[in-house]
Amino acid sequence: MPLAPFKTAEVLTMGVELELQLVNTADFDLSASAGDMLHLLERTRFPGQVMPELTESMIEIASGVHEQHETLLAQLQRMRDALVAAGDRLNLAVCGGGTHPFQHWFDQRIFSKPRFKALSSLYGYLAKQFTVFGQHVHIGCSSADEALFLMHALNRYLPHFIALSASSPYYQGTDTLFDSARLNSVFAFPLSGRAPFLLRWEDFERDYFAKMEKTGVVKSMKDFYWDIRPKPEFGTIELRVCDTPLTVERAAALACYLQALCRHLLAGGEPPPVEDDYLVYNYNRFQACRFGLDGVILHPRRSESLLLRDDILATLRRLAPHAEALGSQSALAELHEVAEGGGNDAAYLRRQHALEGSVEGVVAAAVRCFRMHKEKEKEN
Amino acid sequence: MTEHLLAVMSQIAWPLALAIAWLVGELGHRWLALPRISGYGIAGFLMAASQGGFLPNPSGTPVALLADVAFALILFELGYRINLGWLRANPWLGVTSLVEAAGTFCVVFFIARVFSVVLVPALLLSALAMSTSPAAVLRVVNEARSSGQVTERMLHLSAFNCVLAVIVFKVVVGYAVLASAGSMLQAVWSSLVVLLVSAGLGALFGVAVPGLLRTLGRLSRNATVVFALAVLLLTAVTHAFKFSPLLAALAFGLVARHRRVMLSQVQRNFGALGDLLTVLLFVFVAATLDGRQVVAGIQLALAVVVGRTLVKTLATTALARLSGVTWRKGALTGLALSPLSVFAILLLEQSRYLQLDLLGEVAGMAAMVLLLEIIGPLVTRCALQWAGETHQDRET
Repeated sequence: MPLAPFKTAEVLTMGVELELQLVNTADFDLSASAGDMLHLLERTRFPGQVMPELTESMIEIASGVHEQHETLLAQLQRMRDALVAAGDRLNLAVCGGGTHPFQHWFDQRIFSKPRFKALSSLYGYLAKQFTVFGQHVHIGCSSADEALFLMHALNRYLPHFIALSASSPYYQGTDTLFDSARLNSVFAFPLSGRAPFLLRWEDFERDYFAKMEKTGVVKSMKDFYWDIRPKPEFGTIELRVCDTPLTVERAAALACYLQALCRHLLAGGEPPPVEDDYLVYNYNRFQACRFGLDGVILHPRRSESLLLRDDILATLRRLAPHAEALGSQSALAELHEVAEGGGNDAAYLRRQHALEGSVEGVVAAAVRCFRMHKEKEKEN
Repeated sequence: MTEHLLAVMSQIAWPLALAIAWLVGELGHRWLALPRISGYGIAGFLMAASQGGFLPNPSGTPVALLADVAFALILFELGYRINLGWLRANPWLGVTSLVEAAGTFCVVFFIARVFSVVLVPALLLSALAMSTSPAAVLRVVNEARSSGQVTERMLHLSAFNCVLAVIVFKVVVGYAVLASAGSMLQAVWSSLVVLLVSAGLGALFGVAVPGLLRTLGRLSRNATVVFALAVLLLTAVTHAFKFSPLLAALAFGLVARHRRVMLSQVQRNFGALGDLLTVLLFVFVAATLDGRQVVAGIQLALAVVVGRTLVKTLATTALARLSGVTWRKGALTGLALSPLSVFAILLLEQSRYLQLDLLGEVAGMAAMVLLLEIIGPLVTRCALQWAGETHQDRET
C-alpha cells in the first residue's frame, strides 16, 4: 500500500489522544474491562471519540480538532466526566499515568481485534509489556513539507515534553528512578526513535517509505513508533513522547505548549534544522526520561549544558507573545507552575508513595486526580 | 493388632484424604479442564465413610472448625472486594440483587411444597437456595484470573445474597424455635441478636485491624498474615459463642475495605495457606453427604437446581440493560451464580446445636449440595469464559 497523500489541515489546529488505564476499585490492579466500558459508552452519546487499545485494560479517547485552549479543555473535561460516570456504573476507575505501577505484563489480555492479535503474535511479550499509556498531540500542517520541517525543527524541544508530562516513575511494583519509565518500553520496538532526516515529502516518500515498504518491514505509517511522525491521513504531525498526564487539564496544557512552539518555529524563530542536531538527541532524551525537570541537556548548536527546568522556563517566556495570539496563556501558566516548583506528575506520585506507603496508594491517588483536578491543587 | 492399625489409620485419615483430594483436583484440572474445587468435592464424597470410604463424617468434629476458618478467610476476601458505593452509583444492581434473591426464595419454596416438604424445612431450604457460595465463585475467579462485569457482578451479588440468606435463615430458625419451644427469648436470640452481634464483631475487627496496621506502619506492608490471624481469632470467638462466623467474616472484610487507612497488599486466596484450607473445606463439605440421601432426593434436587438457575438468570438478564451491561453478560451473570454448597453446609453445620437435621429431613438437600458442589464451579467457569473474562492463555 503506497503512502496516503498528505491531506492538508488548518494550520496550528490541534487534537489530543489519551490512552487511559482501567483499574478495579478493590485493589487498584488493572481490570480487563475495555469491552464493558465501550458497550456502556456506545449507549450514551460520548462527547468525543473512544476506542479500544492493545490490551483490554486500556481505553483511548480522542478529542476533535480545536484551535483554542478553551474549547479543547472543555471537550476533554466533558469526555473525562462521561468516562468517570460510566466507570461508576461499572465499579471501575479510570486514571492517567504513563504506566500502571504494579501490573504484571503477563496478566494482560490482548483486545480481540485482528490488528492487535497480529501485533501480539509478532512482538510476543513486547506487545503485552507495551501496556503503557501515552498522550499523542496532533498539530495541523498546511503542507507535507511543512510537516517534515516541524517534525525536525521540534527535535531540540522533545525533552521538554518528556519532562513536563512524565508520570511513570513506578513499573512492575518498584520505583524505576526514571520519571518516565514508559518510554523505555517504547524503545524496545525496532521502529521506534527518530524519523530519518528528510525535509521534502517526495524524498521521504520515494527514498525512504517506498524502500521500507519494499523490504516488507512496514505497511503503513502506523508501523513506525517514532517520537514524532507525520500523519498523512489527518494532515498533521503527531507528538508521541508524552506520558498520559494525571489530569486532562495538564493534557490540554501540553497540547497548547506544542501549538505555541510550532507557531514560533513556523514564524522562523529558530535556524532551520540540520542532521547534526540529532547527535545529542538520544542523550537529551535519556536525561529527560531519567531525571525529568532536573535533567541536564546539551544544546545541539551551542554545545552548552542546560538544566531542563531552566530551558523550559526560558522557552515559555519566549513563547508568551504566541500564547497571547493563540489564547493559551492559562495553559502555559500551568506549565510554568510545574517547571518552577510544583514539579511534574512523577514527583507528585512519588510524594503519594511516601505518604501512603504502597504502590496501590499511588494508583488510588492517580484515580482521585483524574476525577478531580482540584484535589491536586489542594495538596500543593 | 487390627484395632491398633485402625486407630493409626483414623489419625492419618484426614491428611491422607487431603493429599488424595489435592491430587484429584490437579489431575482433573489438567486432563478434564475441571475447576480444581470440583475435583476436591468428588474426591471428598467418594472417600466418605457413608460411601464405604475411610473418612468418617466430620460434622461436629474439630475439622468443622477448620472448615469454618477456611470459609471465613474466603468471606473476608470477598468482603474486601465489595464496593458498597456501587449500589449508590448504580441502584439497579441493588434491585437485581433483591429480585434474584427473593425470586429464588419464592420459586424454591413453591417447588419444595409441590414435592410436599413440610413448612419449616421448606422455608429453610428456600433460604439456603437464595445464596451463591462465595467459596466457589471466588476460587474460580482467582483460578481463571478473570476480570470484567460478569466477574464483578457475580462477586457482589454473591455477597449480597449470602447476607440475605443468613438473615432469612435465622429468622426462619427463630420462627421455628418459637413455634416448637414457645420461648420468646430464645427465638429472638436465635435470630436478631445473633445477626447483629456477629456483624458488629466483624465490623469491630474491620476498624481495629487496619488501625493496628497503620500503627505498625511500614513493617506491615504485606498484611496477609495479619488479616489471616484476625480471621482465625474472629472465627474462634464467634464459633465459641455460637454467633455467625460467616456474617462476622464478611462484615470484617467489608468494613476493613471501606475504612482502609492504608492500602496494603494482601495475597489473593491468602496464598498457600488459603489453597491448603480450600482443599480441606471442599473435602469437608462433600464428606458430610450420604450417598443414600443423595439418591433418595435426586428428583427434588434437580427441580430446585433448574428452578433456581432459571430464576437467577431471568432476574439478571431482565435487569441487564438497566444496570449497564449487555443482555448476554446479564444472562451469564445469572448462570455464574449457580454454586451453593459450601455456604449452605456450613450454615447448617453452625446451626447444629439447634438439632435441625435438614440433610436428613429434606430429601433433596444432600443431592442439591452434591450436584452444585461439582457442577456449580464448572458452570461459573464456563460463564466467565463465555463472557470472555478469563485469562486467555490456558495454564499448563
